[in-house]
Order: sequence, then C-alpha cells, then structure tokens
Amino acid sequence: MTMWIVVILAGIATFSMRFSFIALFGRFDIPPTVERALRYVAPSVLAAITFPAILAPGGTLDPWNAFVPAAVVGGLVAWRTKSIGASILVGLPALWLLTWAVDVHLW
Amino acid sequence: MDRDETHAPTWIDGITAVSPLLLGVAPFGLIFGVTAIAADVPPAAAWASSFIVFAGASQIAIVEVLGGGGAAIVALLTAVVINARHLMYSADMGRYTSSVPWFRRVPMAYLLTDQAYLTTTHRFPDPRSTEGLLPFYFGAALALWTTWQITTTAGMVLGAAVPESWSLDFAIPLTFMALLVLAIKDRPGVVAACVGAIVAVAAVGLPYSTGLLVGATAGVAAGMASERWFA
Repeated sequence: MTMWIVVILAGIATFSMRFSFIALFGRFDIPPTVERALRYVAPSVLAAITFPAILAPGGTLDPWNAFVPAAVVGGLVAWRTKSIGASILVGLPALWLLTWAVDVHLW
Repeated sequence: MDRDETHAPTWIDGITAVSPLLLGVAPFGLIFGVTAIAADVPPAAAWASSFIVFAGASQIAIVEVLGGGGAAIVALLTAVVINARHLMYSADMGRYTSSVPWFRRVPMAYLLTDQAYLTTTHRFPDPRSTEGLLPFYFGAALALWTTWQITTTAGMVLGAAVPESWSLDFAIPLTFMALLVLAIKDRPGVVAACVGAIVAVAAVGLPYSTGLLVGATAGVAAGMASERWFA
C-alpha cells in the first residue's frame, strides 16, 4: 500500500513539473535572462547526471573503475560520428572487453 | 523568416530521430524490471510506476528506497528531486508551445522525457520556426513511451534471467554521455557542462541525489557568466 501511495504522489509531482512551464508560457513573455539560462540547461543537467554515474557508480568516487575508459570511448565515438547508436554499440562492448581484460589480469 | 520549405518533419522523422536513444532506454527498462522483481516491493505497484511516473531513474530510486526499508517520504522526495530537471525541460519546451491548445499540452507534458526534449530541441533549434513540431515530438515521445512500457514489463517477466555480466547498468550513463556530447553547441555550453560535471561529482555524497540539482544550477550559471569571455 505504501508503495502505491508513493508511486501515485510521485506521478502527480512529476507530471506537475513537466506541465509547469508548458502550461504557463504563452500567457507572458519569457524574460531574456531566463531564455539565456535555458540554453545551458541541457549540457548542465546531462553532465550532472552522467559524470557522477561514471566516476562514482557505487555512490563513492572511484575514478579507476571500468566505466571511465568505456565512457571516454563512447563519448569520443559520439563526438566523431554525432550518432548515439554508434556510441552505445561501441561503448558497451568496450566495457565488456575492459572487464574481461581485468578478469584475466591483462589490466 | 528563415525556414526549410522543402520538408516539414513528420511523426516518422520523430521516431527516426529518437530510435538511436531507444538502444540506451531498452536495457535501462530491462534493468528496472529486473531490479523491481528482485526487490522487496509489490510488483504491481512497481509495474504501474512505468506509466504513472514514467521517469526511469526516479522509478529505480523509489524501488531502492522502499525495497531497502526506507521511509515513504524519503522515497517520494528522492523521486521529486531526481525529476526536478523536468522543470527546466518544461521551461525550454514552453517556448515552443505558446500556440498549442491546452488539451495537446497535457499529453505533451506527460510524455516529456530527456530523450523527447533533446531530440526535439536538436531538430528545432529556433522556437519561432515550429512547423511539424507536434507530429515530430509525439512520434519521438510515444516511441520512447512504448519502448519503456514493453521493456520494463519484459524485465519483470524475465526477472533474474539477465546475467549481471552484461553490465546493462552502464547503458544509461553511456546514453547520457552521448546526449551530452550532442547537447554542447558552443563554448559557453562546454563551460556549463564542465562546471556541472565537477560540482555534481564533488557533491556526490549529498543526500537524495541533490548533487544533481546543485551541479546543474552551477553549470547554467557558469555558462551564462562565461558568455562575455567568448563574445
């Protein structure tokens, strides 16, 4: 029962946040400062999600874990090809290769 | 006004644009399903969260907190904080939707995800030129919604049959890494990303994933402040 209440309240809260500005804008002009700030939302949020997940996968900083080199490979592929699919198709096998190399003490 | 007259995007273009991202979402959906079945939570509520909450990272957080015996209020706050980034996406999408009737804005908002937001703003860099935006957005957003429902359900059915050695938990940071690379369009964008990353990593010990919000806010501020260096 607790789980159901949490899920329903989280659903309402999440929808409210998604709807907030989509509902409001159009009734007033967006201040230029806000418009400037919005340009940096995507790079900032994505970096703030990605880097802790890669550098601290268990919640504590661990810069030598296998995610780091695999993510560097995936990021380079994304940069060169502009393709997310290519990045994942190279990055995930890179991680498998790295963990295999660690397992057999090549690393 | 400068506009591409030859080809207004359709819903098929939306699906095409989002399809590479589905490669990252599908394993994430499987992971959520597998995690939820393994955790000590009611499976039906975990399954329903895929269409009630429809935000993967927060769904996993709810299962982890409640499955680990955490308080309901902590689970809820964690989910809200993780999903607060949608406020920023909503603010950006709001620039595109001022002429959209409210009954279409409701499903638009419900379907707003990292991937739908990023593919749409990537395809439509100028909010004043939005021909084909609605079909494109709904094509991309519904493809993602459908993938999420199918893969989270499949993950719950398959349960623990997915071996841990596949490292599917790496698929989502890898997706976000690729999204990040594509989202950086200029030098202030690089500054925003670097500051966001450094602050979020430094704040990784903060409770309830608030480091994400602190990092994102610092990144936006740094991006704005750096504009004058590159002007």
